[in-house]
Order: sequence, then C-alpha cells, then structure tokens
Amino acid sequence: MAQRAMQEATFLILTALATTSQHGYGIITDVTQISGGRVRLRAGTLYTALDRLRSDELIAVDREEIVDNRLRRYYRLTPKGSETLADEAARLQANAAVALKRLNVSRPDLAGGAA
Amino acid sequence: MTDSPDLERGYRRLLACYPRAFRREHGEEVLAVLMASAAPGRKRPRLAESADVLWSALKMRLRGPGPASENRPWADALALFSLVAPLFLLLVDILNVALPYRFRPGARNPFARDFGIHPQIGGFPLLSVHIFTITVAAEAVVAVLVLLGLRWAALAALAATAGYWVAAGRSIPWIPYPLQLITTGVFIVAAAALVASPGPRRGRQLVNWRLGVVLVLAAAAAYVSTFRYDTMTFPGRLLVRQPPTTTVYLAGSVVLAVAAVVLAVVWKLSPYFLLLLAAMFWPYAIQLAFVSTGGSTDLLGNPTPLHLVALYLPPVLFAFGVLLTAVAPRRARLLPS
Repeated sequence: MAQRAMQEATFLILTALATTSQHGYGIITDVTQISGGRVRLRAGTLYTALDRLRSDELIAVDREEIVDNRLRRYYRLTPKGSETLADEAARLQANAAVALKRLNVSRPDLAGGAA
Repeated sequence: MTDSPDLERGYRRLLACYPRAFRREHGEEVLAVLMASAAPGRKRPRLAESADVLWSALKMRLRGPGPASENRPWADALALFSLVAPLFLLLVDILNVALPYRFRPGARNPFARDFGIHPQIGGFPLLSVHIFTITVAAEAVVAVLVLLGLRWAALAALAATAGYWVAAGRSIPWIPYPLQLITTGVFIVAAAALVASPGPRRGRQLVNWRLGVVLVLAAAAAYVSTFRYDTMTFPGRLLVRQPPTTTVYLAGSVVLAVAAVVLAVVWKLSPYFLLLLAAMFWPYAIQLAFVSTGGSTDLLGNPTPLHLVALYLPPVLFAFGVLLTAVAPRRARLLPS
C-alpha cells in the first residue's frame, strides 16, 4: 500500500524537533521561522498534531518544567521519527530536483540557480 | 505574552471542550501556550483561536483515547481487536461456504428428501440465500475499511451490517444458529472497540503472523462446532442419525480451540486481547455448553428474555466497559521534583 505524503505542518513540527527537544510555544515559533513566516501554527492545531505524532511513536515526551507557574512539556524526536523525517525530506528533495531539472530545460528563468 | 485573568478564564472555558482525559494530561500545557501566544493587553480569546481550539477538541473526541493513555496495553489490545474482529467474521463465513458438512450418503431418512439437492449444512447453497450473501458482502466491506484504517466508515458499515443481519437473519433456517450467535457477539464488542480504541490503523501496526495463526485456529474451532449444534437442532437432528459423527466434530472443535489458546499463551499474546476474544465468544460458548450438557436447544431457537440476558449481557457489559475506558479520566502524570 502506498504511503501517504506527510502534511506540511507535520513535516515542519518534526523539523523543529530535529536538533533539540522543544516545548509547545517553542515549536510554534520555530515552525514560523523555518517556514519564513508562511506557516503559523495555532495551539489547537499543534496539540492535535503532537497527539497524533505521539500515537504514531514519531515523538516522545522528553521532560517537563514549571516556568512562571506554567507547565512546559518538552518533546523530542524518536528514532522512528528521525527516520520518517529523513525519508520524507529525501522524497521532497528528489521531487524538487526533478521539478527544477525540468524547469531548467523548459523555463531557465524559473529554475533560478539550479544547474 | 499576557497574564490577564479574564483571558485565562476564557481559554479555560474553551479547553473544557477537550475530552477530560486530554485536559488532565495537556490542559495546563495548552493553556501555557495560548497565554504565551496572546498579545499583551488582550482580554478575550480571538475568534480564530477559539475556532482552532474547538476544531481540535472535536477531532480529539472523535479520535478516542490518545497516546497519553496510561493504559497503553489495553488501548493497543482494543486497536488490534478493532482490526481483527471484522476479519475473523469474514473468515468464519468463508469457511462455512467452502467447507460444508455433508450428511452421510445412504442414510435412510424420509426427511432428507425434503432437502433435495442440499443434503448438507453450509456450503455454496448458502450463497443463494440473499440475506447471507448481502451480509457477507457487507462484512467484506467492513474488513476492507478496517484494513484501510478508516475507523468511522468501518463503524458505520458495521452498524448497518449488524442492523440488517439481526433484523433479517433469524428468518433463514439454513444459516447455522451458532453463526448468528458468533456474529452478533462480534458486532457488539467490535463496535465498542472501534469507538474506544486508537483505531484499526494502530491495530495494523501491531498485527503479526502469530496472531494470524491463532485466529485461523479459533475461526476453525468456531466453524467446526457449528455442526455440533446444527445436528442437534431442527432441521439437522431430523437428518443426522449418527451421534458419534457429531461427537467427532465436537472433539475436533475442542482440539482446535485448545490449540489456539495454548499458542496464544506460548506466544505471549496480550492478555487484554485474549479477554476481548473471550467476550466475543461468550454467546457462542454458552450456547454450545448448554446443548452439549443436554440442556434445552431453545436457548436461541425460542429464546426467552432470560435466555437473551444469559447470552448477551456479558458482551454488552464488556462493550459498555470498553466505552467507559474511552471517557474515564487518565491518571495525571507526576511532574519531576
């Protein structure tokens, strides 16, 4: 059975957790930064995604802290999550490479610096 | 970031829409993120924020117990059962069609003539019974839907199949009664598992070949012992005059069932999953035990309200308990000191 492509928000959340564990608000700000301000996650959307990613064992709780009387729970990528993110990144890269190569042939002006 | 008490109250009201278990686990965490994201001076949640939280809460409620459940083995067993039960139903039906019980040729029995070209229980003539054929086709649809991980579509199809089967099935004398018993028991527990579990998609991650072997043995045991019942009740008892034959079938059924249980124990299948299987088989087992010990065959043939209670109360209670696990509060996780 063909595997479904990962949603962009999911990809960005996993990317945000790729280097270090982060808490919810940290993930939101990081995703905004990674996407150049194009994707702004809201709290409800974020926690729906985090719940599903935990269910799929792609992320896990790393630790919990209390800061200013507020709970912060940090999430980290699991080995399965790292592998899934790497696979998805490779898939996107391969697709992008083909697209840029074809654009380079037909529309050099759109291909930018791709050689 | 803001510390407005009015805004916090507003967010807490919104968070009340989440399932209680999720709120206990993540409520304060989500609140912290909402407060951190709010612009200074804001007194009320913004409309877009409110819509986002409400939509998220609705999805959480439809999804059932999440990963934060403290009782992961139980949730996994439910997920596995929600996948396996529809496949089991289909397998038993296929066995009933593929491997009929044929009456001994030459047995002088005037009633055999009435059965003309169908001197057997089960087999391909079952497919000429529209109710059976439609039900099996519907069960195949449910099986495909759970394999695709489409929990709610599978639940809708299961409910439609069960409604049709219960309403129409009893008017067909050629369908073995134990088959109806098993099917009804599976419908009850499987529907609860589909609602309360993380879903058949999670079950798909857990399924393995050992489980497949145990299920095939269990299905074969269920299938073989339908003969025992049918040869002791109308119209089978008019046709079968060789009690040892039925004893052999009963013994065969017991051997298959014991083999399934032994392998399940040796391979250390989840005890929660085995408990679900036991609930599913309860009506069937109680009926078989009743007949085998010389009890009345009217337990299903002409059931009284008391009979129905004996047959279905345990699975119904079990299914109710399963549903309760979906809404029961989870234990709050302790913060590290």
